[in-house]
Amino acid sequence: MALGNTVYNLLFKKTSSFMLTVAVGAFAFERGFDKLTDYVWESHNKGKLWRDIKDKYE
Amino acid sequence: MQRLVQMVNPRGLCQNQLHLIRPLRMLAHSDIRTPDFSKYRRDRNPDKGQEETQRKAFTYMIAGGSSVVGMVCAKSVVNQFISSMSASADVLAMATIEVDLNLIPEGQSVTFKWRGKPLFIRHRTQKEIDTEQNTNISQLRDPQADSDRVKDPSWLVIIGICTHLGCVPIANAGDWGGYYCPCHGSHYDASGRIRKGPAPTNMEVPPYQFGDEGILIVG
Repeated sequence: MALGNTVYNLLFKKTSSFMLTVAVGAFAFERGFDKLTDYVWESHNKGKLWRDIKDKYE
Repeated sequence: MQRLVQMVNPRGLCQNQLHLIRPLRMLAHSDIRTPDFSKYRRDRNPDKGQEETQRKAFTYMIAGGSSVVGMVCAKSVVNQFISSMSASADVLAMATIEVDLNLIPEGQSVTFKWRGKPLFIRHRTQKEIDTEQNTNISQLRDPQADSDRVKDPSWLVIIGICTHLGCVPIANAGDWGGYYCPCHGSHYDASGRIRKGPAPTNMEVPPYQFGDEGILIVG
């Protein structure tokens, strides 16, 4: 598989680029994870959130 | 025997060292044949470098992936600990007060409570401003120019605690017409500076700023 080779040679071969990959990956992972868990929580609590019932009180 | 020695040590050993090397001989169970492990070996295909890279890519992907998750976990733990040191919302809400300066007439000193301490806001008259600005600083116990203590000359904002032993001074009293501490007789002028009595320093000026429409924000 050529993809594995490309990934290895570009990202993992040098320690410096490996650490950079980890740091950038951590940033992306955190953002994505937060978005995902927020989305799950909000869709689970749909109808109970303040932004859903705000028009009743304003 | 000689061939084996040459294989092990191509330069050749001395004759008296030959007894150190013995050919590996199976003395028992010589009928057992070595099993064939070739089925379990890594595929010795001609493109071996390719296969090795694939294997390493997988290994480093696992290592890198767990590092990513570990870094995110470590970051959130550190974040939790550090944010637990910051002030909570109720403390922050009490830390700042807003005062409507339009309600304070000229020549009056009004006391507010700010962070559990009395806060004096004084609307100074032009006469007081002139007196304080023309005071000779070198005569003062705690030399400080009036312009360093006020942002707007009309408004004096100080913490109303006597710097001697912490009593609350009385406004518009004392020999300099500013503040007078009844406990041990410290006289402050209309800039909150100590002029006479036991107090060692001027009254403290808190951080404040002027907002829109005559609102003063202290804190």
